[in-house]
Amino acid sequence: MCDECGCQAGGASSEKKVIEINKSLLDANQRLGEKNRHHIEQMGAIAINMISSPGAGKTTLLEATAERLSRATRFGVIEGDIETQRDADRIRAKGIPAVQITTGGACHLDAALVHKGIHELEHLLGPDELDLVFIENVGNLVCPATFYLGEHKRMVMVSVPEGSDKPAKYPRAFIGSDLFIISKTDLLPYFDFSIEEACSEAKRLNPDIKILTLSATTGTGVDEWLEYLNKILLEK
Amino acid sequence: MHEVSLVQGLLEQVRQIAKENHADSVACIRVLIGPFSGVVLDSFSFAFDVLKKDDVLFSQALLEIQAPEPSFKCRYCQGEFGYSELEEEHGEISSLFPLPSTKCPGCGRHGLAPEGGDEILLMQVEME
Repeated sequence: MCDECGCQAGGASSEKKVIEINKSLLDANQRLGEKNRHHIEQMGAIAINMISSPGAGKTTLLEATAERLSRATRFGVIEGDIETQRDADRIRAKGIPAVQITTGGACHLDAALVHKGIHELEHLLGPDELDLVFIENVGNLVCPATFYLGEHKRMVMVSVPEGSDKPAKYPRAFIGSDLFIISKTDLLPYFDFSIEEACSEAKRLNPDIKILTLSATTGTGVDEWLEYLNKILLEK
Repeated sequence: MHEVSLVQGLLEQVRQIAKENHADSVACIRVLIGPFSGVVLDSFSFAFDVLKKDDVLFSQALLEIQAPEPSFKCRYCQGEFGYSELEEEHGEISSLFPLPSTKCPGCGRHGLAPEGGDEILLMQVEME
């Protein structure tokens, strides 16, 4: 319609127009994710995106990693939470550089938030001082699976008290992951958790997924985790 | 829960397209949501109905969602099968993901895994 009075005269824009787009809604996130990946590689590092429910033991595993991973491997942590600095404080207490991203309510990290985190980490350390960046996602087994952050490896973790049906119930997180960690295995005697069920469900969804079982508290299985890290560092 | 942020991103993208094309109103937005994308279609539609009210550009806008059938690939024989083919073979399957006991219709082994289907695409915008 015409701008002057709203009549239909001479208005090219009153015609119906169909525009083909064929573009992913996650396009902007994907592009920013690729940028993050490139940025991390330029720092000489690789990144792991850690996904799990709240309380599965992501931070505890990082604490154990800080204690036991060779000092020759330098790593930093980007902590994602809805609120508080608590997880970053726990990591810093182990002498590991950590930046906290608070999403202010969002249920997942996206590439833009991680981009900010990478810059903060770089500011903290200076370039070329890292081999490995852990991105600890917001505790949630659903939404984080949709958002690529620029990671080289994605891991999903389920703790024994959560139950072995988690891969079957939250398939998306397992389809897109490289590594599946079953944590808190020291609690196996007290819970009805079938390692076999969890593994076969995860393999059914993603035949290529690697599986590790461990307890960060007792240390059982932590050596295999460190071996895995060393292996992917060699591949980089 | 992230359906709201996905729809926000969608409307932002369409707003930009409408601006580039000097459109006054958007009549229809067509999206394709893959079966393994993790998006809940009802939540997506609901978020669209709520968020479109914030902008007069979208007051008449309809949302059309294309939801392709889940597809599976056998890691042994590399055969690809749609969900309906599996149901023809095995009867009704209660889960979106076939059970470990579901045999591949091609080779009879237990090698089926989800194939693709994680896309969330803006296909087409109709505007005036």
